[in-house]
Amino acid sequence: MLADIINPYFLQILSFILINILLAISVYVPLSSGQLSLGSAGFMGVGAYTSALLTIHFDIPLIIGILAGACVAGILGIIVGIPSLRLSGVYLAIATLGLGEVIRVIFVNWESLTKGSIGLTGIPQMGREILNFAKGFGFDPAMIGLKSNQFVYLVIVLILLLLVIATIWFVVRQQNSRVGRSLSSIQMDEKAAESMGINITYYKVLSFTQGAFLAGLAGALFAHVMGYISPSDFSYHRAVEILIFTVFGGSEVILGAVFGATFLTLVPEVLRFISDYRYIIYGIVLIILMAVRPQGIFDIHLLNRLKGLKRSKGGVR
Amino acid sequence: MKVLVRKTIGIMTVLMLFILAACSGTSTETGTESESGDNTEQASGTLSAKIGVVSYLTGAGAAYGEAITQGLKLAQEEINEQGEVNIELVIEDSAGEADQALSAAQKLMNDDEILAIIGPTLSTEFLAVAPEADLNGIPIIGTSTTVDGIPEIGDYVFRNAIPESLAIPAAMEKAVERTNAKKVALIYGNDDAVTKGGFEVMERTAKEMGLEIVATETFQKGQSDYNAQLTKIKNGNPDLVLASALYNEGAVIMDQARKMGIDVPFVGGNGFNSPQAIEIAGEAANGLIVGTPWFGESDDPKVVEFNEKYEAKFGKLPDQFAAQAYDALYIYADALKRAGEADRDVFRDALAETKDLEGLLGNFSFDEIGDVVMDVTVLEIKDGKFVEFE
Amino acid sequence: MLLEQLVNGITLGSIYAIVALGFTLVFGVLGIINMAHGEIFMVGAFVGVMTTSVLGWPLWLAFIASIVVTGILGYLLERITLRPLRGKKGVSHLAPLISTIGVSILLENLSHHIFGAGNQPFRSSFAEISIEIGSITIYLVQIVIFAISILLMIGLTIWLSKTKAGKALRATAENLETASILGVDTKKIITLTVIIASAMGGIAGILVGMAFNSVSPQMGLSMGLKGLAIIILGGMGNVKGAMAGGLILGLSETFLVAFGDSGYRDAIAFIMIIFILLLRPQGIFGSKIAEGR
Repeated sequence: MLADIINPYFLQILSFILINILLAISVYVPLSSGQLSLGSAGFMGVGAYTSALLTIHFDIPLIIGILAGACVAGILGIIVGIPSLRLSGVYLAIATLGLGEVIRVIFVNWESLTKGSIGLTGIPQMGREILNFAKGFGFDPAMIGLKSNQFVYLVIVLILLLLVIATIWFVVRQQNSRVGRSLSSIQMDEKAAESMGINITYYKVLSFTQGAFLAGLAGALFAHVMGYISPSDFSYHRAVEILIFTVFGGSEVILGAVFGATFLTLVPEVLRFISDYRYIIYGIVLIILMAVRPQGIFDIHLLNRLKGLKRSKGGVR
Repeated sequence: MKVLVRKTIGIMTVLMLFILAACSGTSTETGTESESGDNTEQASGTLSAKIGVVSYLTGAGAAYGEAITQGLKLAQEEINEQGEVNIELVIEDSAGEADQALSAAQKLMNDDEILAIIGPTLSTEFLAVAPEADLNGIPIIGTSTTVDGIPEIGDYVFRNAIPESLAIPAAMEKAVERTNAKKVALIYGNDDAVTKGGFEVMERTAKEMGLEIVATETFQKGQSDYNAQLTKIKNGNPDLVLASALYNEGAVIMDQARKMGIDVPFVGGNGFNSPQAIEIAGEAANGLIVGTPWFGESDDPKVVEFNEKYEAKFGKLPDQFAAQAYDALYIYADALKRAGEADRDVFRDALAETKDLEGLLGNFSFDEIGDVVMDVTVLEIKDGKFVEFE
Repeated sequence: MLLEQLVNGITLGSIYAIVALGFTLVFGVLGIINMAHGEIFMVGAFVGVMTTSVLGWPLWLAFIASIVVTGILGYLLERITLRPLRGKKGVSHLAPLISTIGVSILLENLSHHIFGAGNQPFRSSFAEISIEIGSITIYLVQIVIFAISILLMIGLTIWLSKTKAGKALRATAENLETASILGVDTKKIITLTVIIASAMGGIAGILVGMAFNSVSPQMGLSMGLKGLAIIILGGMGNVKGAMAGGLILGLSETFLVAFGDSGYRDAIAFIMIIFILLLRPQGIFGSKIAEGR
């Protein structure tokens, strides 16, 4: 029964959606303090390469590799974040865009480590590692009526789902806390926030670093889902794509990032016949969206209205 | 204003619902399909099979994917006409990106009716897809993937694209023999897996042949000014320039080199071998030497016939990518005939035994790991035409 | 070798400078970064290829065609994507940036569909004329490129400081509302600025096509990103800074290839801007402190 429903293709798509949601949130978090980072593809690459190299060469457990990848990206975020404080708005966007390109060029050129443009092969794949681990305990996917590749992808999706839920939970909690209020006050008016006694430096670096960490995490996960990475996976196009996820869905609420990533990953898969025109449509969508609804599809008003709808339907109060 | 906003929200919601509905629609369809199970032999006795194709059909390299799928379609038509086997192609786009190639391949692999896969186009895509295909036990063949280490991935992984490690040394040996070259200069695209792989072969071969390397230069995608690199090369006074570039960039490099006064012959890799190189560089393309299994100007009747049919059907002359894809489908058809049934494992074993198959590109066999065994023809561009190198 | 590389560097630098002039003009007046400028440049180059190679028009006509087409594109850019965002309440300052990224994606992929992904050769007998000086060959195109870039810079400077339209433009750049109170038709001025900037992109496109004999849909992206780096290097909105920044970048890229590792060529622009942004955010020639635009 279960075996008929679980289709590795859909699970694969689902796992990419989940990774893209993490990436979209990695843009959303710095944006919630008014910082536009176009470097997420670069941070993603740092996370992916760190984790892949560690697990390939030193045979360390995947979970440590992934965490290390995310942390290295996060540390890079701090290193870049502090001096970038002097920059705001478009300057920060360009500096981070430049950073992403520099990181990619380093991946291409540091051949002894990264094998250049040919990329890293033989990265341990998350699901398979877990399958082998489970087999060590005498577990066989057939015991729960699954083929092994169904099991592999099911495990991946479950892990990713858990991580995404944890991330969303964390971000939402943070938003409703002192930190979140500080961040949004910085976004509204930096000078006013400062005069209210908010430590701008701390909060801005915090949100920038969180973004870098999340992008690194997503990158590390990407590496262990794909089993193969190359510098072209982390190019300018990727950075723009991630930006579009967030902007399209709505950059003011986290639901926007989630929706944008889900929707825009699904559309080209579902409507494969339009894939030829995908980027043309992306371009048009961006232009129209900025002109008509610059805050993206979801914003606070829409959410409130939806909530209102639910309430009136329920007939309570 | 408010009304406008409300209206747009309304439209977007409807759009979303539509797409979500479309999504669930397709998912149920595929679900039932995969349940219907194994391949069927048609009543007429012809053996039929579905072959999955993953190809680079949109984006910067769409021209490659287009040539490949056209080559496949032509072969499919001919094979089905002959009547012994009936092949159906299921074509998916990869957009040149590894993750999309993997999704597309996953979709095909998961359909139990798909017997085997052809593609994806780029080596970077193939390296992501092939291990997964091998694990799932579905045969996969690369028709345009030339980097080292492809058939080594697993038992189910094959290729009929001639690897750079075969094509480039052949061309280099002949070129050095004639020009008596002692000094060579290298130029390659370092942000592309194919050109980078080709460069490694060139460098290795040059060292083995005892040639002095006077300059090693790189370029990147989207660059249009190669003058700085070429000036440096010119200054080294090489007898031969080894250029690992795709024809698109390679032709421009040759054009700028000739203008600068570098008149020595160029040796290129697989990706440089295209009539397009002549189209772009014009006279400057003269003196390009490439090793290839595909010689479009050959008077071999098979090639002539292929050229005619291809041009009649698609309105342009075929290139190496089309020819290799065309051959790949014939290799599959041949293996399918010998296998006698559309079963992935039986088919794989039959495929591995492919030997001395007369294809468009000449006599074809797989070696024990599934790599290509084939003679390489060395070509050069002379007076604006590819001719056999003497 | 040194002399030859110098010529290469100046040619490349002059092209960068012309591209950067267009960027800097738009930034100077509107305070926004036009991410689509690189793609407008690319369209200009394609118009050049199409008119000379396919239609067989003479070169001067190709130049005019290219200026007209890119000028129209500039008008559409302003009308469709920039004006609706201006003066609207609650629109973040990042909106125009994102919107022009949309235009750049659209233009690049439209060109893919129309012209194909490959390189198009730019055939023109003018590009073949060369002068031998000692051991080095200099092509007339290279001299023309350098001359045009200098002329454009001087022309722009004079136009901005001496003519009435130029003064109106500077007033608009200084303060949009005050300028309009003082009787400047700011709408017209802004439209004019975007059109001129785009037309300069078109000129640069044709020049690149002639100099390097290659035009492809991807060329806009790398050129656009470099132009961006240059205006930060030279100081946002600064005409002389754009010229100097262009030459500096062109020369340093060329000399990196000549004496260093050509693999890092594409990174040098960004390494430079990261340092500049951290050490002197207003750019080499800038005087204003870069602050929250």
